[in-house]
Order: sequence, then C-alpha cells, then structure tokens
Amino acid sequence: MFLTNIKVLAVGLAVIAFYTIIAQVIPQLESEVPEALDLSAGVTPEVLVTAGEDLFMGGAGCTSCHGLGTRAPNLRTDHAGEGTIGERCGSREQGCKEYLYESMIDPGAYLIEGFPPIMPDARRQLSNEQIWAVVAYLESLGGEVTVTADDIGASASAPSAPASSGAAPARTATTDPVQLLTENACIGCHQLEGAGAPVGPAFDGMGSRISADRIRTGIIDPEAEIAEGYEAFAGMMPATFGDQLSAAQLEIIVQFLAARQ
Amino acid sequence: MKHLKHPFTQAVLLIVGSWAFFKFVIPLFPGSAPVPQSVVLQFTLIAAVGVLVYVSENEERWTQFKAPITATLVDANKKWLRGGLLTVIPLFIGFVVFQAARPTVGSTAQLRSIHPAPPGQITFQGRSLALEGLENPLRSRGSLEEHYETGKAIYYQNCMPCHGDLLDGQGHFGHGFNPTPLAFDRAGTIDNLQESFVFWRIAKGGPGLPREGTPWNSAMPVWEDFLTEDEIWAVTMFLYEQSGLEPRTWGEEGEEHD
Amino acid sequence: MMIDFLTLLQAAAEAGRSYGDFPAVGGRGAVWIAAEVHLMFAAFVLGVPMFAVITELIGIVGKDERYDKLSKEFTRLLVFAYSATALWGGMLLFLLTTLYPAFWGHMADIFSMSMWIYAGLFFVESFTLYLYYYGWDRWKSGRAKWGHWGLGLLLNVWGTIVMFIANGWLTYMMSPPEGTTVAEGLPDGVTMWNAIANATWMPINIHRLIANAVFGGSIVAAYAAYRFLAAKTPEEKAHYDWMGYVGTFIAIATFVVLPFAGYWLGREMYEYSQQMGVTMMGGFMSWLWIVQAILIGVLFLAANYYLWTGMGRIPGAERFLPYTKWMLLVLIVCWIVWGTPNTMIASRDEFAAMGGSRHPFLGVLGLMSGKNTAVNFMILTTFLSFLMYRRGNRIPTVTWAKAGTLTQGAMFVLSSAYVLWLGIYGYFVPTITRISYSVYQVAAVLACIIGVWAIDIFLMRGSQSRGEIRWGEMPDRSQYAIFVLAVTFTWLMGLMGFARSGIRQHWHVWEVMRDTSDRAVTPALGYAANMISLTVVIFLGLVAFIFWLGGLAERAVSKKPAPIGQPQAVTGG
Repeated sequence: MFLTNIKVLAVGLAVIAFYTIIAQVIPQLESEVPEALDLSAGVTPEVLVTAGEDLFMGGAGCTSCHGLGTRAPNLRTDHAGEGTIGERCGSREQGCKEYLYESMIDPGAYLIEGFPPIMPDARRQLSNEQIWAVVAYLESLGGEVTVTADDIGASASAPSAPASSGAAPARTATTDPVQLLTENACIGCHQLEGAGAPVGPAFDGMGSRISADRIRTGIIDPEAEIAEGYEAFAGMMPATFGDQLSAAQLEIIVQFLAARQ
Repeated sequence: MKHLKHPFTQAVLLIVGSWAFFKFVIPLFPGSAPVPQSVVLQFTLIAAVGVLVYVSENEERWTQFKAPITATLVDANKKWLRGGLLTVIPLFIGFVVFQAARPTVGSTAQLRSIHPAPPGQITFQGRSLALEGLENPLRSRGSLEEHYETGKAIYYQNCMPCHGDLLDGQGHFGHGFNPTPLAFDRAGTIDNLQESFVFWRIAKGGPGLPREGTPWNSAMPVWEDFLTEDEIWAVTMFLYEQSGLEPRTWGEEGEEHD
Repeated sequence: MMIDFLTLLQAAAEAGRSYGDFPAVGGRGAVWIAAEVHLMFAAFVLGVPMFAVITELIGIVGKDERYDKLSKEFTRLLVFAYSATALWGGMLLFLLTTLYPAFWGHMADIFSMSMWIYAGLFFVESFTLYLYYYGWDRWKSGRAKWGHWGLGLLLNVWGTIVMFIANGWLTYMMSPPEGTTVAEGLPDGVTMWNAIANATWMPINIHRLIANAVFGGSIVAAYAAYRFLAAKTPEEKAHYDWMGYVGTFIAIATFVVLPFAGYWLGREMYEYSQQMGVTMMGGFMSWLWIVQAILIGVLFLAANYYLWTGMGRIPGAERFLPYTKWMLLVLIVCWIVWGTPNTMIASRDEFAAMGGSRHPFLGVLGLMSGKNTAVNFMILTTFLSFLMYRRGNRIPTVTWAKAGTLTQGAMFVLSSAYVLWLGIYGYFVPTITRISYSVYQVAAVLACIIGVWAIDIFLMRGSQSRGEIRWGEMPDRSQYAIFVLAVTFTWLMGLMGFARSGIRQHWHVWEVMRDTSDRAVTPALGYAANMISLTVVIFLGLVAFIFWLGGLAERAVSKKPAPIGQPQAVTGG
C-alpha cells in the first residue's frame, strides 16, 4: 500500500511538473501596463504626483527654464526667500492649485517680476490630466497635495479649456507654416512680420542670413551654434522641437524660413 | 524482420523516425522552410507520448516492450551493457546541458507576436483617437474609387519597396530585413484584423509595437510623421481591395457576408 | 449582523489604504491561491450533486441498488468537501477585504444586496445537503424515496443559483455595463441586476455548469481509482473499477460539449471589447493556448487509453484491438496540428530561414481552421473508442443489425468529411465566416454523436452477450491514466482561470477601476504556471485528506463487514 501511495503521488507530481516546465521553457512575456495614465477617475494623489514629476523632469520640458533661476523662477528650490513652490503658493488668494493651474494655461496672467514672458501655454503640450498632474507635483514640493479627480473632471468641461476633447496636446496636422510657428510658440521669441519679441534672431530675412541646413540644425539642436549677438540668450530655446514636430512639419518650417529673404 | 516486430524496436524507430520527419522531411515540402528547433522538439515529444501509449495500451505488447528493459537492468550476463548505458546516458545528458548553457554568439530564441493586442486609444498626431469601434471614415465618405486610387498611389510611393508590388512582402528591399516585411496577399493576415488595427500599425510603425511584438525588432517607420489620417485610411482600404480580403467584422453586420 | 459586518468592511476600505501586503507570495498571490482553491472546491461540490441526482434516479427507475449506493458514496465525499469550500470562501473574503479594501468597497457598493442573498442561500444549501445525506437511509423506499430525490434536485437548484450570483460579480469585473465609474458606481438607470446580467454572465454560467460536471466526474473517478488500487478483495476491486468507469464516462461525455460553451464565451468577450479578445487570442497570452492544447491532448489520450486498456476485461473486445493503433495515429496527428504554434519560438537565424515569424508550411496548421478540425477529429475518435468499448461483449440480435451498423458508419464518414471540408474551405473565406464554421463543425460532430448513439440504443436492445465484463480485472496502468486525467483537469481549470482573469490586465474592473498597485502587471506564463501548480497541489492534497477522512469514517462505521454487492449484469453506463 505504501508503494502504491508513493506511485500515485509520483504520477500526480510528475504531471504537474511536466506542465509547469512547459510553461517555463517558452519565452516569458508579461503584459505591459501602459504608461499613459488615465488620471481622470479615482486617481490617488500619489499617482498624480508621480506622473507629474515624470512630466516635469521629462516630456514637458519645464526644467529647461525653471530651476536655473535666470529665465524663470525656481520651483523645486527656494525663490526670493519664499521657499519652494509648494510652500509659497499657499499665500495666493485664489488657492494654491487654482493659481498653479491658471499660470500654466495662461502664463501671462501672473508674470513674476524680473522674468521675460516666455512661457508657452501648457495646453499646447499637455493634456488636461497631465497639467493637473504637474500641478499636483508642484504642490507636493513643500505643500500638501489638494488636487483630486474632481478638479480634472471640472476643468475639462470648463469653457476656458481648449475646444477639443479633454486631451489637447500641441501637435495638430496643419501644414501651414505660419500656423505651425504660432502653435509651437516660436513667435514668442522670434519676430515675424512685426509680431514676436526679439529674444532670438528674427525670422524676417533669415533665409538671406543662413542656409536651410543651418536652420534645420538650429531647430533640432539649438545649442549647436549660437547666432551672433544672442550669446546672452544661449540655452533659452527648448531642444524639444525635434520630438514635437513631425518630420513633414519640420521640413515645412525649414523651407518657409529659408525663403524669408 | 523479427526485430521489427518487437515493440521495443518499433518504439525506438517510431520516435527517431518522427523526429527525422519533422526535422528533415517537412522542409522538403513545396513552399516549406526549415522548422525551428523548438517546434521540432515539441512535435517529437508529442510523438513520443503517442508511442508510449501505443506500447502500453495492450497487456501483451506492454510485457514484450518491458522485457528488454528489465533484462538489461537485471540480467547477470548484461553487466557490461548496463555499465555502458549507465555511463553513456549521464554523459549524454551532461552534453545536452552543456550545449544549452554554453554561451554562443547567436541570438536567443524569442517569441514575437504577429498580431499583438492594440491599445484602447492612441495619440495620433497629437490628438487622442479611440481605436475601439473605430471605422474607416472613408468608407462612408466620397467615392470609393477615388480613395482606392489615392491609397494605391501612396502604397507605391511608400510601401512597395518593402512589402512588394504583389503585396507579398517580397519588395526589393524586403530581403534586407529580418524579420521580413509582412505579406498581405493571403488568408490569416489582414483578414484577421479590423481596419482600425491596420490603421494603428501603419500610424505607429515598429517603434509603436507593444512589448510582445518586440518593438526593437521591426523596420516599419512611424507613418503618422509622414502621412495624414486620411492617407493612412486610404492605403488601408487599398490593401484590402487589392488583396481581395475583407476586414474582420463583428456580430450581425458581419454575418450578412455569409 | 451581516449588514454591520459589511459596513465595517467598507469603513475599513475607505480608511485610505488601497492595498495590503501578504508575506511570501504577496497580496495578489494570496488572493490568487485562495480564489482558485475555493473555485476548485466549489466546482467539485456543484458538479457532484448533478450526477449524484442522476445516478439516484437511474437507481430508482431501474430498481438497481448498485446505482443508489454509488450515488450515496458520491454524496459522502460532498459533505466533507462542502466545509472546505466554505472555509476557502471565507479566506478569500478576508484576504480581499484586507488586501484590496478599495476594490472590495467598490464591489460592495454595487453588489451588497446580492452578497447577503448569496450568504443566505449558502445556509439553505448546506442544510439541504445534510438532509439529503443523513436522510438517505431513512427515506429509502416508496414515496419517501422520491421526496429524497427531490431534496437532491433542490440541492442542485440552490447550488446553481449560488454559482450564478458569484459569476455575476466576476463577470462584472470583465464586462461592466457601459458608463460605470468608480466614484458613482453604476450609471443612472442601470440596476444591480444589469450589473450581474452583463455581457459575459450567461456564457460563463453555462461554461462553468458544464465544466463542474466534468471536474466532479474526474475527481470522483480519481477517488475510485485510488480505492481500486488500495482494494483488498475482488468485490471491492470490481465496485471501484465500475465507479471509476462511471466517473470517467461522465467527465469525458460532458467534456465533449465544453468547447461549444467556450466559443460562445470567447465570442461575447470579443464583441464586448476587441482589445480583450485580441489580448486573449493573439496578444501576450497566445502561447497559453498552446499549453492548453497540450493539456487537452493529454486528456483525450488518457481517456482513450483508459477505454482501450479497459477492453482487456471485456470478452469479445479483442476483435477491435487492431484498430486502436490507427485511432492513436489520428489522435497524435490531430494533437500535433492543434499544438502547432501560430507564433513560433525561434532564433533570428531560424526566423530568417522561415522568412518571418510564421512558418510557410506549418503556419497554415497554426490557424483556427486547422486547429478546430483537429479537435473535432479527436472528439470523434474518442467517441468511436467509446462505441467499441460499449459493443465489446455484445452481439446485436435485431434483424436490421447490419444496416444499422452501416448507417452508423456512414454517419461517421459523413460528419468527418464535412468537418474536414469546412476545415479546408475555412482558409478561403473571411474570418467572421470562418468562426461560424467552427460552430458548424462542432454541431456536425454532436449530431453524429447523438445520431449514432440513438441508433445504438435500439440496435443493442435484447443483444446477446459474449460474456460478462470482468469488472476489477483492470491493469493498474489504466488507473494511473485516471489520475493523469484528474490532475490535468484540475491544472487546466487553473490555467483557464488565469486566462479569464488575466485578460483584464491592469484593471480590477475592466476600464472602470484600475489596478494601481505595484503588482498590476499581468505575470508571464511561467509565474502563472507556478501559482497554478501550487493551487493544484494544495487542492489535491486537501482532497486526498478529505477522502482519507471519509475512509476512516467508513471503517469506523462498518466494523461489521458490509458486503459490497458484486455488480451484476452490464448495462453499459
């Protein structure tokens, strides 16, 4: 009887082991959890802050100005003795998160003294959820995170938000060069037919000064060669346009600028 | 001949024979190709299980089959054979293990899903687009003939070098890639998929594949950077029209095709 | 009481902690094990009453004491398994509330009412079971016996309702009604009933109902196989040989219908969400189906093996022996076709030699048409084996015997040809049509089975016997085949459970409630296989323990030797 028990046990375990081994020898594949977070429903503050930090440090390109202290106020560190952004935004009358959200979608509204008005409307690059994620991250820097799923839902349907549904990042399919230059906020710093500020070399007559190749390089890698007379502004132009524009759009802009005699 | 009747000989011959069949004979079939090692192993294992069932399903055959094994293990006059086997078998297993563990210059075997699951929604040229339930808008707008012509032009300008003018994946650049470009001219390709799936694959290309599709292992460009939405839909339509395949449909609507 | 308890749990859920942790296997692992073991026990206690009632009925109608005894023996296993089910259910509940409080809160929000009904029915069900089992010898004859049988029927009714309610919860997780949100629960106008009766509810209900019978049959057969091996007297051996045969027969016969329910479920899933469907069949889970094919191949082979070895104890069945090797060949070829991966594992060089991820020749077999054809041939072959087994010791005496057999043969040939034709033609039609072909194929096979069976019943009426089946004269090997069947069924259940649950990927409730824990990634097959094996070992270990307990009780009761009736005339099952 003892032998039978052992045999039954052995057969059972051998069958189980056989299946287990088959499942082990094939290449192992986990399902991917998609990166793009759905931040609208039942989102926790931790998730928002983590997503916001990723955006702040990476894709949204905030650090190319904020954090150096010369082009824009410091956010992660002390600015003018008032502490980090999470600490100092509480003194705003409309409330911390409202202030932060407002200044991201309408940067001109709360211009800090001593800084040029160069910040683009965040809605050009980020979806509504993403903007709130960044707000939550900024709040977490020294303050308390008060952003909730309700904020995201409420502002998405508010009339002030862009007309397109919820997520409205910058890129459109347009092929009109002037519209592209406007949408990507190039005309914030480069002058074109009277519009824009003289922070970078003017677009007017650019084609007579430099070649198309040089323009292309300049857009994709702004630091590669600084135009004469603009050394003080070196590093101001975001290096994100290469990713932001499609290949076709980039080419349209390059050809348009090269034709500005 | 007498030996051939013995179940033990038969078993050995059957297993070796089926292995040889999978390994050497299947590639000889017209239009066939070498079978990957993993598949040969799997098939041979199944055949071996079948052989085991064969020798043991009937009492007489089972006794006969066991006889030489028992004799080898027990008989006094087979001491040398026994010793030999006890040496050779562990050595052989050791050799197999060594072969498996030995570092080689070849790439490891990998699993590459041909039709990976699409995401629920994608960001197409900066706009979110829900893939689920997405229909080809061109099918209900304008002249189909015209869309087909547009798609055709786009295909021959952009896709033909790799996917071939016969849609068979044999374009003149196609041979330079591994894995080779997909063919669209046969059942089991795009007819298994909805048009929105094809749209997603064209728009996002190789880099947009999920992990199970090995995104590092495809030369397909990200066409949303070069084509507009309508152009991608047009070329999708062209693929189906030209290959004579129908997009995958669901439910009642599809059953009308029967 | 119950309400207090649930509000307490909900309060705990809202206290902020979204996820808990569990030592060693992690939170998800703990819930996985508890849920799967609970499910296996539940399947057993739901499956066994189904045929306990049927065998009791056969016993009453056929006035055959043997079947009544068998039915009671089934039920005895049930009494012990029942408490194990409740125990693991309770364990699952506590693990869910402590490890996934936020998720549990959401479910309680929507389903609280049905949860109370569920608990209430569970009580009623267990009392019915106790009445059924302990009243067996009391209500033995006449009208009381019918009343007793009614109790058994009632037991099934309760069990089915209980399962349907629980299925409502879990199918809600896969296919919640449109517009459901985490914060506000169900959308306006949708009631709890709509959430229960969601898109995949009925397919899962039917699928599980059938699968429970399969599972119950195979576990009972394994019990019988063990008792057979342990038996000391020829009478005992004969009894358990017969019981093993009945269990295996139930398992295989119901198993044959299971693919039908499976297609329906898959179709509903595809229609609910394309993404879910593609993830299941072609996405990261595609290899799971190859493993499934291997398991089901083992099932078919083991079942046929059992029947073939069983022919050794049937006088006259020797005349069929020469055919078995050809049937084996068909089974193996079909198994290979079914096991052909669509997405092959290969190195880069091998891919290059093949010209892509799909083999130009074998790739054809890897498609649905080929695989379905293979499965249907396996079903037909198994049925043929069974027919041979049944005919083994009989000589038909009816005048139309020859014509009848020829008709049966023609039915086999016709349905095989039809299945094959659809299989080949399926490569040349749109996918949606091809999918409907798989339904036609199964329908043809089922029609053949029913037709042949019906003819056979009349054909064998008043047949002569070539000699009695020598119950008990079975080689031990055949009993191990039954063990292989039971273990494989259990493992298969674990695997399919992973598939069903895993396609939700990183969602607790599909596209409503996201899994935001650090264990949201759906694991690879290797990890899943480890978990499945663990649950199978736990379950079978406990089952063995329960059976051993049953044996103890039996020995204690029957100190005075109770003769086990030698099974008499063979009625075939």
